[in-house]
Amino acid sequence: MIARIKNEITLWRAIVAVILVTGLYATYVRFFEGFRASTNLSDKMPWGLWVGLGTLCGVGLSAAGFGISAAVELLGMERYRPILRSAILISFLGYLTVCVGYLYEIGLPWRFWHPIVMWNHRSVLFDVCICIMTYTTVLTFEFAPALIEKLPWKPLRETILRFHHKILIAVVLAGVLLSSMHQSYLGGLFLIAMGKIHPLWYSPYMHAMFYLSAIPAGLALTVMAIYLCMRSLNVRIDPSILSDCGRMIQMLLIVYAFFKVLDLISNQAVRYAFQWTTEAGYFWLEMMLFLVIPITLLSFESVRNNLEKLYGSCAIVVAGFMVDRLNVSINSLQTAMGTHYVPKWTEFASSILVIAAGVIAFRYAVIYLDVLPKAKPKQEQRWMSNGGLPAQA
Amino acid sequence: MAREKALLIDIKRCIGCLSCETACKQLHGFGTDPEPVLSDTAFTVVEARGDKFVRKLCMHCEDPACASACPVGAIGKTPLGPVVYNADKCIGCRYCMLACPYQVPRYQWTKLAPFVKKCDLCTDRVKAGKPTACAEACPVQATVFGNRDELIDEAWKRIRSDSSYVPHIWGVEELGGGSVLFVSDVPFEKLGFKPAPSGNQPMPTLTASALGDSPKVVIMGGTILSALYWVTQRRREVALAEAEEKAAINKIKGEGS
Repeated sequence: MIARIKNEITLWRAIVAVILVTGLYATYVRFFEGFRASTNLSDKMPWGLWVGLGTLCGVGLSAAGFGISAAVELLGMERYRPILRSAILISFLGYLTVCVGYLYEIGLPWRFWHPIVMWNHRSVLFDVCICIMTYTTVLTFEFAPALIEKLPWKPLRETILRFHHKILIAVVLAGVLLSSMHQSYLGGLFLIAMGKIHPLWYSPYMHAMFYLSAIPAGLALTVMAIYLCMRSLNVRIDPSILSDCGRMIQMLLIVYAFFKVLDLISNQAVRYAFQWTTEAGYFWLEMMLFLVIPITLLSFESVRNNLEKLYGSCAIVVAGFMVDRLNVSINSLQTAMGTHYVPKWTEFASSILVIAAGVIAFRYAVIYLDVLPKAKPKQEQRWMSNGGLPAQA
Repeated sequence: MAREKALLIDIKRCIGCLSCETACKQLHGFGTDPEPVLSDTAFTVVEARGDKFVRKLCMHCEDPACASACPVGAIGKTPLGPVVYNADKCIGCRYCMLACPYQVPRYQWTKLAPFVKKCDLCTDRVKAGKPTACAEACPVQATVFGNRDELIDEAWKRIRSDSSYVPHIWGVEELGGGSVLFVSDVPFEKLGFKPAPSGNQPMPTLTASALGDSPKVVIMGGTILSALYWVTQRRREVALAEAEEKAAINKIKGEGS
């Protein structure tokens, strides 16, 4: 038994070590040898995995923060308060990974501050930059109480928290609006690439489609994270909250599916889905993973009420969402640009490093801060909350 | 107000001698080896299309997609015609490359401090009243430099005087028009000129509609959310007051009995 546990520890530690070593090496190559050495980007594919995975997926999967905070703080759905802080933390860390990824993406990272002072209000990307920066600040504010609570001196703590509480609603409201703006602007980025983006994805309403797809995906990632915390970090959440989230994800996916079909019809793009092309293949992969399979699975009560099955369904949603974003940012462009782009291993390694850093930070925040309600640790199980292992209940 | 300059490129006259390409490379100090496609060291190339030759270069749009896309406003259309790039502002996001409908901007992928590279219509020479290097080098006047309105007249003159020309000047209206004009004796579609994706509408209008909606969405969304918040708060207050009332009544009842 002990040997098995030890084995598992080394496995995970080994994985983290591999991620760290390869990721740091990839980072070195990126910053000291340049794009040619570290990426397969080219004039025909100026944006690749870093934008597709790091930014589009990163921001999209961090959508739960604004969704749940709007539901709880503005709409009074107090039922979801227990998972509010974890959703905000996921968003906060997600946006931090996006900000770090931004430094990898741009060619002149030491000029990262230029958009703050050099404005071009006609540029969607400018609006995205400003919104993401502002919203990261909002998320810092929304998550701050978890840290302030740990301040040693009570009067100071209370003064800050009282002030925090006074302006919280205004900040939450601003956060919801900012999120709605840049979640959709990320899709709006591609509006100007008309003629390059395959008609299965190009639509004058791409920005709206991005917005609609981000919310269920962000929620699905939150459910996944909470399930993992329950399994390994002694977190206790009423499972019915999560199964309600599952129902909500399903409903949001149905709404998205409805508009996606409507969009395809209005753009006269349905026929492209039935052609024997690579794009059609990617399109159906996306449709199956993001819409057909999860909507079907989540319609069963037995799936929603079983945490493991719910977790699996949410994982499919997240995978499907990632396929969608990579389809838009990479696969839909390849034919028109006349190129075939496969990311270099260093692109993967650096992306995984940044994501892994976010995951590890999340884990330690859950352990040391009051992010999620925890069961009182039994003395003999103490090691579990430190070892990150599944509770052997 | 300076008059807008332009290039008129006559595909019928072009003999494919690559003088324009070489002159451009010499001006920028890039060596003289011809390159097959545009690159960060080839701002114009001459591509063979059947027995015709088509020059590739920045089209210097009137309302450039790249300029509207650039988050820091590093690219701009000058009144004199050239679409110029300000390397001091650029952060290297490469959104201009994604936005350009002609796939013109190139990137210095091998450099540690990479910049975007493209034709600037010899903006310094043009400011000094000189023609572009490519126009100056052309031995058969297949590329001529001049005021845009005069070049349009000149193009029509060539088209009218010779029935073999296609009766269309490419670049006057496509995607809102630009400072590079083409005339040809072979239909443009056969030369690899793609039909403009958005017709004669400049590309920036595509994003302008999405961006233009946002103030409305923010104001409406903000109002609706505030209203909903007010309702939920009010409901909570009412519920609280009712509970207190009930408690008070119960208390009185308890005292009475």
